[in-house]
Amino acid sequence: MDNKGWSLKAGSLLLLLLLVSDLLLCQSVASLPICPSGAVNCQVSLRDLFDRAVILSHYIHNLSSEMFNEFDKRYAQGRGFITKAINSCHTSSLSTPEDKEQAQQIHHEDLLNLILRVLRSWNDPLYHLVTEVRGMQEAPDAILSRAIEIEEQNRRLLEGMEKIVGQVHPGIRENEVYSVWSGLPSLQMADEDTRLFAFYNLLHCLRRDSHKIDNYLKLLKCRIVYDSNC
Amino acid sequence: MDLWQLLLTLAVAGSGSAFSGSEDSSEKPKFTKCRSPELETFSCHWTDGVRHGLKNAGSVQLFYIRRSTQEWTQEWKECPDYVSAGENSCYFNSSYTSIWIPYCIKLTSNGGTVDQKCFSVEEIVQPDPPIGLNWTLLNISLTGIHADIQVRWEPPPNADVQKGWIVLKYELQYKEVNESQWKMMDPVLSTSVPVYSLRLDKEYEVRVRSRQRNSEKYGEFSEVLYVTLPQMSPFACEEDFQFPWFLIIIFGIFGLTMILFLFIFSKQQRIKMLILPPVPVPKIKGIDPDLLKEGKLEEVNTILAIHDNYKPEFYNDDSWVEFIELDIDDLDEKTEGSDTDRLLSNDHEKSLNILGAKDDDSGRTSCYEPDILETDFNASDVCDGTSEVAQPQRLKGEVDLLCLDQKNQNNSPSTDTTPTTQQPSIILAKENKPRPLLISGTESTQQAAHTQLSNPSSLANIDFYAQVSDITPAGSVVLSPGQKNKAGISPCDMPPEVASLCQANFIMDNAYFCEADAKKCITVAPHVEAESRVEPSFNQEDIYITTESLTTTAGQSGTTERAVSSEMPVPDYTSIHIIQSPRGLVLNATALPLPDKEFLSSCGYVSTDQLNKIMP
Repeated sequence: MDNKGWSLKAGSLLLLLLLVSDLLLCQSVASLPICPSGAVNCQVSLRDLFDRAVILSHYIHNLSSEMFNEFDKRYAQGRGFITKAINSCHTSSLSTPEDKEQAQQIHHEDLLNLILRVLRSWNDPLYHLVTEVRGMQEAPDAILSRAIEIEEQNRRLLEGMEKIVGQVHPGIRENEVYSVWSGLPSLQMADEDTRLFAFYNLLHCLRRDSHKIDNYLKLLKCRIVYDSNC
Repeated sequence: MDLWQLLLTLAVAGSGSAFSGSEDSSEKPKFTKCRSPELETFSCHWTDGVRHGLKNAGSVQLFYIRRSTQEWTQEWKECPDYVSAGENSCYFNSSYTSIWIPYCIKLTSNGGTVDQKCFSVEEIVQPDPPIGLNWTLLNISLTGIHADIQVRWEPPPNADVQKGWIVLKYELQYKEVNESQWKMMDPVLSTSVPVYSLRLDKEYEVRVRSRQRNSEKYGEFSEVLYVTLPQMSPFACEEDFQFPWFLIIIFGIFGLTMILFLFIFSKQQRIKMLILPPVPVPKIKGIDPDLLKEGKLEEVNTILAIHDNYKPEFYNDDSWVEFIELDIDDLDEKTEGSDTDRLLSNDHEKSLNILGAKDDDSGRTSCYEPDILETDFNASDVCDGTSEVAQPQRLKGEVDLLCLDQKNQNNSPSTDTTPTTQQPSIILAKENKPRPLLISGTESTQQAAHTQLSNPSSLANIDFYAQVSDITPAGSVVLSPGQKNKAGISPCDMPPEVASLCQANFIMDNAYFCEADAKKCITVAPHVEAESRVEPSFNQEDIYITTESLTTTAGQSGTTERAVSSEMPVPDYTSIHIIQSPRGLVLNATALPLPDKEFLSSCGYVSTDQLNKIMP
């Protein structure tokens, strides 16, 4: 009887371990390493790279949408931010295609570089967003957790994009251009109204830019991998 | 007349304005929806706010403004197309549409802004419905009742899914034709989805709608697709799946029966006990301790009548049976190696134990031996219950017997044992031995008395009851009944050596002595001597001083009292008449009426019952 019970216990524990490991694996989006670290000649296919990139960008956009909605619901009701907030995002200086024709006309290397630039431009703001949200009065967990997640995934996407660029355009290495974000002082303002508006602005810009990147990547994937026949 | 006209116009204007004022809110044009179906164009719609038949003076205009390259173009531009999207709408084609660029539009009527809205195009994406719905039969179930189908459709034509510019998600809904509630399926990315488990004899409706993958707003539903499944084959089962109640009941009963059997098997013993309880073993009835406590002699007598050796007549005749005092704790005696000694002491111990045991359990059969029962009562030799009127006589009567045995033994330890006997007397004084036991035991003591008396060392000073009559200033307790001398004065030695013994006794620590003995001591000795003897006794640390001793001293001072006291047996409980000195008490000897027969004690204890008889 004892053996039976013990074996049952062991089996259930093993199952639990498996489940947990599965969950952990599933959570980390597109983190399955096909190339073990340290391998020299390992080549992940472009298709896989793009698939993962698209998954990441979609995930980031969903998170930023939710984050923006949360913030809007909580802090921005009745403040009329939307009328004021036709705002300027710091990435507006980067000349990104604004509609489908422009996007189709641009060369995919340029588009890739643009994507990289936008992603780089968001490194700094995301980092500060996390710290500032933490310091917010009654830091809302929904917003904070998403901010942290977005920051991490953004870094991952950047790495993935650099890999893609390395495969699509090996050898060409452009200067690391990105637009500087100078919105930190407004995030730290003492006046609550101004501060909240700065947050609103930033989250709105993040949602927009994540949508842009998602769109560009899907376009590129269909163009490069599926030859415009998704 | 002019005034009337003016008034009339005013009234009409007022009413007109009132009317217009009440419906002002509804007349105002408002944006209802702005929508982009494919992320390339967009259109905005508004309500006209015009009542039927009545048109507003000014027309409604839409102006828009959009930011380009970080700067607002300052001027508001008018809507490029009022027609393409229908009435009260403005259509922006792809050349006017920029994604990810903020737009603001405003609605004007008669030059005044009535509504304003700001948005970005990617926020207002609502795709068109899919087209080209069709279905194919996948399979039919074995029972011939159900079937699965695959529904396919095409994405909306204006959405550029192929280039990946927009990614759509679809949701399918279906229901039976005569139902009202649509069943929803989970959203899918692909353009075909299987629908399972449709009944063959029913018709179904299917519809699909789409949304942009990143958004949450669904577009319109597609056209309804009617699914008519082939008819059921005539060989198909007619009955639908019914819940197998019959099987469930059968299995349930079976399971319960199994459980019941298991239960019965596991609790066999217990159930046996419940069903067939064991026959109780007959209990042999013994003496109920309650009876003894209450002092109901008749019942106890009847109970004890089963014993052979019990002779109630004897008991009735002689109420004052001499109690033999046994020395319980005297271990020194055991060192003396006479057989009778050991025998007697063993009996004594045994009797005591059994006496104790008897109190606990009257139903015990094994312990209950008539022989042992008799020897019990040897221990109950205290002055409780029966006073020892006959004691001195008995003592005298058996002196010869005692003397015979005594001379054989060593008398010296008698004096030695006296101090030790003090303790058992004290100890036993606390014991509450039942009186009937003692009474009934007296007769047995009669028989065994000679054996007991033969051993003077076994004469124990066992006082079962002692009434504390007073506490002296010195701290000694005065006990009222004066018992016979527990100092172990052997009756043999008493007559010749009464003087020396008296002295010895008085010197000793034991202050219990019967009046008779005390009288003997006093009468033998000269008056002064007695006094001197008596006094030293008081000088010593007498724990107990009986009233007798006090009486004797008092009697010495006053002979009249003494005479009175010597004539009449002083009752055990005497009231104190006067306290003359620290050492003198005059007792009121005549206070108590003496009962005829029972209260004939020179020393000894009066039981409470007798006392109650004495004292009203």
